[in-house]
Amino acid sequence: MVDHTFVGHSTPRIDGVEKITGAAPFTDDLDFGPDLLHAEVVASPHAHARILGIDTYLAEQVPGVVKVVTGKSFQSTFGLYLEDRHIFAQDRVRFVGEQVAAVIARTRTAAKRAARMVIVSYEVLPAVFDTDAALADGAVELHPDLADYGRVPWFHPRPGTNIAHWRKLRKGDVAAGLRDADLVLEDTYTVPRYAHAAIEPHAVVAELSVAGRLTVWSASQSPYTQRNLFAEALGLSHRDIRVVTPYVGGGFGGKAGVTMEIIGAALAMTVRGHPVKLHWSREQEFVNTYQRQGLRAHLTIGARRDGTITALQHTLHWDAGAYVEYGANVVNAAGISATGPYRIEHVQLDSLCVYTNLPPGGPYRGFGYSEFTFGLESHIDRLAHGLGIDPVEFRRRNAVVGGDELPYGAQMNPSGLLEAIDRAADAIDWGIEQPAPSPTVRVGKGIAAFWKAPAMPPNAGSAAFLKFNEDGSVNITVSGMEIGQGYLTAMAQIAAEVLSVPPDRIRVETPDTDRNAYEWQTVASHVTWGCGNAVLAAANQARDRILDTVHRALGHDVASLYLVDEQVRSTTDPDLALPLREFVVTGLEQPSDGTFKGGPVVASGSFMPEFTSTRSDPETGQGGKPNVHYTVGAAGLVLEVDVETGRIAVRTVALAVDAGTAINPVAIEGQIAGGVLQGLGTVLYEELRFDDGGRLLNPTLTDYKLPTASDIPDRVIPIIVEVDQPDGPFGARGVGEHTMIPIAPLVANAVEDAVGVRITSMPITAERLYLALTAEDG
Amino acid sequence: MGHAVALKVNGESWSLEVEPAELLLEVLRSRVGIKSPKPGCERGDCGSCTVLLDGRSVRSCLVLAVEVDGHELTTVEGLGIDGLTELQQRMVELSSFQCGYCAPGIVLTATELLAVNPRPERHEVQAAMSGNLCRCTGYAPIIDAVLTAAATAAATTAPEV
Amino acid sequence: MTISLDLAYHAPASLDETLEILSEQAGRTVLLAGGTDVVPSLRDDLISPNRIVDLKRVEGLGDLAVIDGALHVGCLVTFSDLIGSPAVHARLPVLAEMAGMVASVGIRNRATLVGNICSAVPSCDAGPLLLALGARVHLVSREGVRTVDVDDWFEGPRRTAIRSGEVVTHVTIPLPASGHGAAYARLSRTRGEDLAQACVAVVLEPGDRPRIAFGAVAPTPVRARRIEALLHAQGLDAGAIDAAVGLVAEEVAPITDVRATRRYRLAMCEVMLRRAVTAAAGRAAGDGPVHGTPLM
Repeated sequence: MVDHTFVGHSTPRIDGVEKITGAAPFTDDLDFGPDLLHAEVVASPHAHARILGIDTYLAEQVPGVVKVVTGKSFQSTFGLYLEDRHIFAQDRVRFVGEQVAAVIARTRTAAKRAARMVIVSYEVLPAVFDTDAALADGAVELHPDLADYGRVPWFHPRPGTNIAHWRKLRKGDVAAGLRDADLVLEDTYTVPRYAHAAIEPHAVVAELSVAGRLTVWSASQSPYTQRNLFAEALGLSHRDIRVVTPYVGGGFGGKAGVTMEIIGAALAMTVRGHPVKLHWSREQEFVNTYQRQGLRAHLTIGARRDGTITALQHTLHWDAGAYVEYGANVVNAAGISATGPYRIEHVQLDSLCVYTNLPPGGPYRGFGYSEFTFGLESHIDRLAHGLGIDPVEFRRRNAVVGGDELPYGAQMNPSGLLEAIDRAADAIDWGIEQPAPSPTVRVGKGIAAFWKAPAMPPNAGSAAFLKFNEDGSVNITVSGMEIGQGYLTAMAQIAAEVLSVPPDRIRVETPDTDRNAYEWQTVASHVTWGCGNAVLAAANQARDRILDTVHRALGHDVASLYLVDEQVRSTTDPDLALPLREFVVTGLEQPSDGTFKGGPVVASGSFMPEFTSTRSDPETGQGGKPNVHYTVGAAGLVLEVDVETGRIAVRTVALAVDAGTAINPVAIEGQIAGGVLQGLGTVLYEELRFDDGGRLLNPTLTDYKLPTASDIPDRVIPIIVEVDQPDGPFGARGVGEHTMIPIAPLVANAVEDAVGVRITSMPITAERLYLALTAEDG
Repeated sequence: MGHAVALKVNGESWSLEVEPAELLLEVLRSRVGIKSPKPGCERGDCGSCTVLLDGRSVRSCLVLAVEVDGHELTTVEGLGIDGLTELQQRMVELSSFQCGYCAPGIVLTATELLAVNPRPERHEVQAAMSGNLCRCTGYAPIIDAVLTAAATAAATTAPEV
Repeated sequence: MTISLDLAYHAPASLDETLEILSEQAGRTVLLAGGTDVVPSLRDDLISPNRIVDLKRVEGLGDLAVIDGALHVGCLVTFSDLIGSPAVHARLPVLAEMAGMVASVGIRNRATLVGNICSAVPSCDAGPLLLALGARVHLVSREGVRTVDVDDWFEGPRRTAIRSGEVVTHVTIPLPASGHGAAYARLSRTRGEDLAQACVAVVLEPGDRPRIAFGAVAPTPVRARRIEALLHAQGLDAGAIDAAVGLVAEEVAPITDVRATRRYRLAMCEVMLRRAVTAAAGRAAGDGPVHGTPLM
């Protein structure tokens, strides 16, 4: 491995001091002066209903109310991948909590009071709350206009049904593959809906100046995508929209794309000259952003006695909610990768995006992989046991390696999966039994592997601007978002490596679309790779300009010049040691005549993967190269089950992930510790629960239980595997989402090891496990 | 009806007129200009709005502004006036936080803990922190920073033998 | 987060002044101590008073002391005060054990023991323990003072024996004899801040009838009198505890809600009872688990 000066060395976050002192601004922290208006949304109490009329008279009489806005004012559709949404409900509502109207007032209290006084009359319609009901013959159709919605070319909706997209993948002959197997195992796994539950709720402030300029401040992972959708939905030029995104208090996919921000932008259009603020309450945060989609997965896998998986058939029914403009791409991503990181000859995948009358589903850390991996890695374990093969060995025998043919025909990138499996297993002393600490406690160990590719359009781009300052420090502006993952620091390290300027002398700024270079979105764990490449290009360009200046001023051959310790040095002239700060803005004096060469060093870089394509046969999924690469890994876990209560205590989790090259190891360790606990939350405590009318029963952090500091494993062992990603900056690829993907099946596998019970439905709460244990007894 | 409230925030005296329905969190953010206490759950579950009231951590979303007349408040803005505290330094070094939204509340809760219990055991740190939710970090780097800060403080104040 | 009510606010300096305010017209008054239950209730429109009477400036309501063999807990005494009290640790450590399980430090610094039994949600932590300890609730109004046995205090979810115009000034908790053993066990979804899904308090005094109460498994905290009688008659050996566990279903009436099913609550009441009785007996004998050790 190449030894770098900054890349690969653990570097304290460059935003650490700002965050630890309370100085880091978040959207709700920005001040807007006395003309700031406040908005409150009127939400549907029904899961499915026709809107018969909206009476705003009483609300308009409330002192302080400026305006009441309904869907009449905004009739265009919008959506990221499928245009199935309106800014406000038009003729019907499709989930409890959907925005029907909004009140704009001078104070929050007035807005809140008036919102209660908007009278909406409804005709209640039949509703569907799960995929079986939505797919049944004669089910109520949620989107009769599905055929007319704009969409990306890789979506295949079924108008006349509730199927918004059906991703099919066919490789080989599954029936033959199953006949060839010595053991065929078939089962169904269910995964409920989950909430991102970032601690910062969504917030937006928007202002249309009297001159017609729209500025939006939002807590978002996707400033440029927001600008694009605002422009399309509101009929403005991109030039006239500015999206500013300060720090974001946790994203996890929940602040990707556009959700409530478009309400704020639209409301601003109605009160020209006034900033309007919309701030979600925790309840609204749960109901009206994105939720992680529910999944019912039917899985059949066959394997031979020697441990070779012969065939896999995976049918995924996604409870995608009332609007799937983003969520349908989660379904798509899973539909081409739900084999997991295994080499399988015969594959059949069917991934169905199903409309239901529940809140819109969407992206959530793992983007479909967390969901299907629960069933898949549970099933892999059960097959191993059924064949009498050690689960670690079974995974090793089928593990995908670089150069393998992927389910859709393209080639697998270099991959350290085997190393990850071995190191995760070793770290938890796999195969060695541990004694139970008390008579009511059983100890179990589990193992699971994972993979995930960024799910992006084939032309998702990243760009960076870089400039030197008079003191030789550097400012970089990009439009990826620092959502906690350490992106700003990683970008600083990449530039530092090229320019020899230490990361703490580089400021990387959060986005303002007026000033910062383009970024598609901060999702898909792609910014270290994609935007990292853009920053690398910008840094290279800056270096080239610096060296060229020296060449022109002093005559040194460019090939002999290099940067080290913030100086230009030469391989041929040991006396040359030019500090960057002396000339990167003011230029270099030419000794012969006193003129100056160079000038302020500014540079830009941009990156787009030029090898991806989504063109494939809709019936087989064969063809194209929809994914840029996969990041792989494996994890092991040790837990204890109290058999009297069902309570689980996680002792050790070891998670190995192939980062290609770790740009900032401490940040990857942070992703592992955080992702592991987020995964444990989904499998041990969390679950969105609805009543039979589609109303969320636990829209509070009182009853949607996040793990606390007392609920962490005794030990999390981070393991960084480094098998170079050839097209990544310094060989890096993303790891952020991946760290939570294997956790749920890991727990399920360890629970079976501990107490002999297989749970096929998440979450595995103490109560569920207790009930399963006692059912087994009886 | 407005009520006159006199309080100290980070050592500075403030006189405000507040309505009984106004929450301390709202008043601090919108009237005093102190932004570090963050709205997160609005019902005391998450701890991101934590402030120190006469040195003890409280949820500013559960306190009416009118209740704090005559009291002293400390927020994270008031901790670092003379530079970072030992605890804050350890948190920066260990990259304890990711998105940072929960950080002000956690810093204050940990500051209170170390004032009450300068040499906490790991499980005591966990228990003290268990009312401050963090969705990013898995808590471990935060707990490590608290323990490291306690150990450093103990080492620098230990009597010579 | 905004509270959208029009409210008057009073912060009387004395009890007399408090009672006078309370006796003025029949306003919809809410008494405010720590506010950790009142404030979210205001925000969520669960209550809609037109005035708040803040008790925190009233002299004497924050007293915490041992008086005549009983612990006097003023209505402004917070859970953190209990945890920090040497007298509580020395004489009634189970009270600190319970207090340490309430919510979080930031809540316990503000929330009061008396407020907890006044808001009287079915899952309140203080209720079962005060029942098991035989506490008395002291009230005052313009008509005079009144004492209610905590057994008669809880009347339903969020309903108590308090009357209009009254203030709970304090509770008194008779200190159990030395050589007693007590335990508070609590089931919750996470190990950190959470509400009780079910809980049990057990107090064993040498020679006396055991006192046991459950929480979060009925509309109010409930005494388990049949279990108490059985253990009193049969002692605390394994057979007696088995028999007591067999009576749990007759003592409690849990419901299924978003926090747990009836079946799980019932089963866990049995486990908690067994563990809490065993722990309390062990503590009485001097070899039980340290107070604060989670039993679940």
